[in-house]
Parts: sequence; C-alpha cells; structure tokens
Amino acid sequence: MISYPDANADVSLNRALPVALASLESIVRTEELRTRPRRPVEYGKETAALAALVKALADSPRTILQTLTDKILEVLQSDSAGLSLLTKDEKSFYWPAVSGVWKPHLRGCAPRDFSPCGDVLDRGAPMFFRHTELRYPYFWSALELPAEVLLVPFYLNGKTVGTVWAVNHDDSHQFDGEDLRLLESMARFASAAYQAVESIEELRSEVTAREEAERGLRELTGTLEAQVRARTEQLRLSEAFLAQAQHLSRTGSYSWRVATNEITWSKQLYRIYELDPSVPVTLELIRSRTHPEDLPSFYDAIDRTRTGAHHYEYERRLKMPDNSLKYIHVVAHGALDKEGRLEYIGAVQDVTERRLSEQALDMARSELTRMARVTSLGALTASIAHEVNQPLLGIVTNASTCLRMLAADPPNIEGAQETAQFLLSDGHRAADVIKHLRSLFSKSSTTMELLDLSEATQEVVTLSLNELQRNRAIVLTACDQELPPVLGDRVQLQQVILNLLLNASEAMKGIDDRPRQVLIRTYLDEDENVRLTVQDAGVGLEPSEMERLFESFYTTKSDGMGIGLSISRSIIERHHGCIWAAPNSRGPGATFSFAIPPAAEDAMNSLDPDALRPCTAAAASAGNL
Amino acid sequence: MMPPRRLIAVIDDDESVRHSLPNSLSQFGFAARVFSSAMEFLASDAVVESSCLILDVKMPEMSGPDLQQELKRRRRALLIIFITASADEDVRQPLLKRGAVECLFKPFTETALCEALDAALKTRRH
Repeated sequence: MISYPDANADVSLNRALPVALASLESIVRTEELRTRPRRPVEYGKETAALAALVKALADSPRTILQTLTDKILEVLQSDSAGLSLLTKDEKSFYWPAVSGVWKPHLRGCAPRDFSPCGDVLDRGAPMFFRHTELRYPYFWSALELPAEVLLVPFYLNGKTVGTVWAVNHDDSHQFDGEDLRLLESMARFASAAYQAVESIEELRSEVTAREEAERGLRELTGTLEAQVRARTEQLRLSEAFLAQAQHLSRTGSYSWRVATNEITWSKQLYRIYELDPSVPVTLELIRSRTHPEDLPSFYDAIDRTRTGAHHYEYERRLKMPDNSLKYIHVVAHGALDKEGRLEYIGAVQDVTERRLSEQALDMARSELTRMARVTSLGALTASIAHEVNQPLLGIVTNASTCLRMLAADPPNIEGAQETAQFLLSDGHRAADVIKHLRSLFSKSSTTMELLDLSEATQEVVTLSLNELQRNRAIVLTACDQELPPVLGDRVQLQQVILNLLLNASEAMKGIDDRPRQVLIRTYLDEDENVRLTVQDAGVGLEPSEMERLFESFYTTKSDGMGIGLSISRSIIERHHGCIWAAPNSRGPGATFSFAIPPAAEDAMNSLDPDALRPCTAAAASAGNL
Repeated sequence: MMPPRRLIAVIDDDESVRHSLPNSLSQFGFAARVFSSAMEFLASDAVVESSCLILDVKMPEMSGPDLQQELKRRRRALLIIFITASADEDVRQPLLKRGAVECLFKPFTETALCEALDAALKTRRH
C-alpha cells in the first residue's frame, strides 16, 4: 500500500551542511518533557480522534495514515505532524504522511543512521528533541526549523518500522507529558489500523480476486450460455435435419415403453401410416393398419417383444384405408432403462417403391428371359432347325421325283400325284413351323399402346447388358428423350431391338483389332418418323446381302437360321414402319435401322389416359398386390 | 441278265424322307429298303445284304451314331452316309472321324447324294 520513492528525490533533506554538529545528548530533552507541568488528560479529544481514525479506516483506508497525522496535528495542536517509515532496504526513512507546516515535505526522506527517527529506533522508546538542526544539519533546509520534536516508535507486527512525530516550530506552544501520551495512543492505534488496512487490502485483493473469479465465472457462464444456445440451435437444426432426413428417406422412428404401452412416433411415421399426429398411438391402431395376412407375424412379434430386450429386423405390409398397400422395413432394438423398464427404439422405413420396382424388375427380367428364349438364335436353331429342314428335304427330293415321273415315257401320272401329295404335306409342315415361330414371337394378343421408344430401348439395353458384356461388347446409347410417342406393341418392338442388339454383338464376336462397340440411337428422322439405329463395328455386310437379309432362312452366320430379321421385319411392318441395313459409311461394321411413324394426334386423345403407361410392369403388378 | 442292284438301306424316322429317297435311289440304279428305326434295321436281313446305309443322325431310341457303334461292335463294316437336319459341323466332323463316308445336311440335292454314293462305293470293290 505504500510506495517507496527514489531516495534521491528532490524533496530530500539528505543534504549535508558545513556546520559543527551537536551531540545527541545535547538535543535530547525527553526527561525534561516528563517534568514539565502536564495539562489535564483530554480523553474527549483522544476519543474523538480515535473515532475519526476508525471512521477513516472504514471510509477510506488508503488515506488512514494521512488522517492520522491530521488528527495528531489537531489533538496535539502542534505545527507539523508526520509519519516516517523505514524503506525496504532499511537505509532511510520515508515520510508517507505529513500534516501542518511541513506538509510540502510529504514523501521526503531522512537517513536511517543519522536522524531523530533513527535514534528512536535505536532506543526503542519515545524521544523528545529540541532543535534537531543542531545535530542533523539537513533540517536547515526544512521549510521551518523545528523548535521541539516529539517522536514515538511505530510498530508493525511487534517490530519497530518507523516513528510518528509532532513538531512545534517555535516555543509559543510546548509539548508536555499529555502530548506524549496522546501521541503514543494514536501511534498504537495507527499501528493496529495500518495492519487492519493491510488486511483489508489483502481482503480487498481477495475480494478483487473473487470478483475477478466471479467475473470470469460470469464470462464462463456467458460462454456456456452461448454454447448452450448454440447447441440448442444445433439441436433444433439437427432435429430439423432429422425430420427432413426422415422425410426424404421415408423413415420414421418410434419408442415403445413395453410395460405401459406408451408409444411415441415421429412425424414421418405418422405420415407413413397416414395417421393424424394428434392421435395417440396404440397397438390397436397399428394393428388396424397391418395387412391381414401379416397379422400372425404382428402378434407373434408383440409376444416376443414382451419377453425381453431383443433386436428385430423384419418386413411387413400395411393396408391403407383406400386398400393401397405399403411395404415397411422395421429395425427395432430393445433395452432396459435405468429403472429396469423395457423400452424399444425402432426405425420404420417405407420401402414400397423399392419393393414395387423390384417386382417390376423381376417381371421385366422374366419378360426378357422369354424374349431371349424366343429370339436367341442359338436356342432357336437347335429347337427348330430339325423341324424345318426335315420337310425341306422331302420337298426337294419329292419335287425331283415328281418331275422325273412326269417326264417319263409314258408319264407316271399316278406316281406323280402320290409324290405331289407328299410334296404338299411337306410344304404344309414347313409352313406350320413358321406359323409356330410367329406365335412364339407374339403374345396371344397384341396390345397396342402409346410408348416412348427411347424408354423401351433403355429397358432392353439395361436388361441385356450382361449378355452383351459377355461378348465384350461396349454399348453406347444416344436416346432422344423428347421423342413423340409411337403406337405399338411394346414387347414386340423390344424383341426387334433386342434382336438387332444381339445381332450386332454377334457380328463383332471375332473382332479383336478394334473396340467391340455398339451405338444405339433413337431420334426423329427427316421424315418425322421415330427412328432407331444400331451401329456395330463387326464384320459388316456385302452389298449383295442387303436385299436378302430380311428374307426368311437367309443367314450370314454359320449357326444362324435367318429367322430373327425376317420376324423383325414383319413386326416393324405391322407397325407401318420399315427396317433396313447398310454398311457403315465410315469404318467397318454395319448399321441396322428401323423407322416407324409417330402416333397420330387422335390416337393419343382416344386412348384412356391410364393407357399411356400401362406398359410399366410396376403399375400392372401393383394392382395385383 | 442285269447284275443285281446294290442294296441301299435308308433309315430315318421321317416318313417323307422314307418316301422320297428310294425313288431317287432307284433312278440312280440302286435298290432301296427303308426302315423307320435303327432297331427295325438291325432286326432285318438288310444288315448283311446292304452295301451302304443312308442313316439319319437324330432318331428316337437308337440314334444314327448309336447304330454306327453297334455295327462296329458286331464287326459289320457297312458304308454309312449320315443325313441330318441339324447343320452343325460339330456333329458332322466326329462322325466322319469315326468312319462315315459322308454326312449330308438336309435339305440336300439328288446330285449331292449321288456324289456321296459314288464316293462311298468307290472305296469298296465288289
């Protein structure tokens, strides 16, 4: 609390003057003080002074020392009063408080070993001096010379650390024994007060520290509150995310306290079950939405659930009030809470679309299998080659025989007629084979619908990709997504596309010096017809072959039957279109194309809107679920 | 007196073939007997009297190649011209390796058959 200034401060009295110094004894008059006539004890003044000090202590402890010297001045009615404290190095005294005439010497200094204060410390007792300047010359430089100086020791914690003093600068008023008593009393009090102030300072610093701590705490609290706010916001956001994620993934969640049957659903779960979120969820409510055929498994699951904490994963169907069907995938996990109560947390995903598209895919696959079985020329050759060649041999040989019999002389008319009968029946047999083939290719009834050729093409490509990859064929598609619809039999057209694709793949079988690349394009051609082209990088075509390619039983393949393209032609012609082939203008390979006219405007209008997409197996199968 | 005509056995389950081929064969100066199955042929005296067989590959019960094996087992080295409706080299080549004179894909011309018979009969002198 007290700062010690530089010992060489300007106000210092530590300046020697060339004067012969008096002895200490010559200036000390302590005994004389005791013998001086003593005025009556002034308890009132003393009490008032001490009270003032106490008040100062309470009000402004920092200025307690100044208050002390002020009060000394007042109570002793001296000219000056002050306090001297040893500096830390104990080489000099420092005046932290001065009142009266000498007040300008505040914060002045005096040497420890050559000063009245030093003498008091040496003796450890009060001392009374007259004209200290006679021994201590630096007093000459004081504002006014001291006539009488009364000093008492100042203790802190049982140690003498300074003096409290009063000075009269002339003899108009002289100190007496009562002044000494008052000064000692006030010095004692000051000691106590000083210590108290120090404690208070400590306390204050403690308080300050505590305040600091509190401030820190407040800041921390503020930070925490901000963090809590941020976390709350994050939570709110993540809840929003969760809700959105649940919505997007069609996944709802639930919790179920088994003992109390308390069931909590997320909003999305209500949405899946198509229930009002304000309705409390009960097992009965869930049961009412469960597909009747799945009820046994529903009851079974509930029974098992009650037996303990398990992990479940199952799929179940829901039946909506409008009789539509939903497939849900449920994952549930049971656990005991702190109180040992069984609780299930579960996620329910609406997998209806996935199921339906899987079923559609399955149907498309089996459809393709059927198509592949019919169009795969390898299998076809094996199964029908025999049936076709057999009557052909009969036709060839019987025709020769017939001609011979007629050419004989005389002509064998009877034999020729008999042979012609065989010829005829062989002809019918061959025709039957073709008829049988055609019926294999077309469904029992052709279903004409409006369809997107690009979409139909994509389906064929997707489903035949495996087969094509087996031949190491790379399929590139460039399908116009804005094609006008055509009126046609989807399955038959897809058979044609598949046939062209497999032919292209077949034509590239032995090709190893270039990529086995097939390019399938759909577009609206210059005649406003919907056109599909399949361009391969295969062995290519001879110009002489062009005409015959689409004839029945004409083939360029060693194991071909020459049926695929002829049937393709009949299908395309049934769609009022045409089919043709050409060598690639640039590079090796051939391009097969067909073009069919887009559906007429009135065809679109006359069709039931539902008929626009009856082709999708998904729609068809959904109705049967 | 005319030399006895060489006997050709036609074995095919197809009636149309059985009707038309003997007519062609007699035109070329052969005698022909027809059988609707391999078993029927084996049960007949044609097994020892035939010079050559025109044998269908695919037949129920005993196929053409089965009959070829059976004749080999019986040490009856008959000349065989296979005929088949399945134009498959993978079938034809093994048959030729096992001693068949020819394997014709149906439908074949009379000329082709005649050439095959000539080739067959040249390999064995009577």
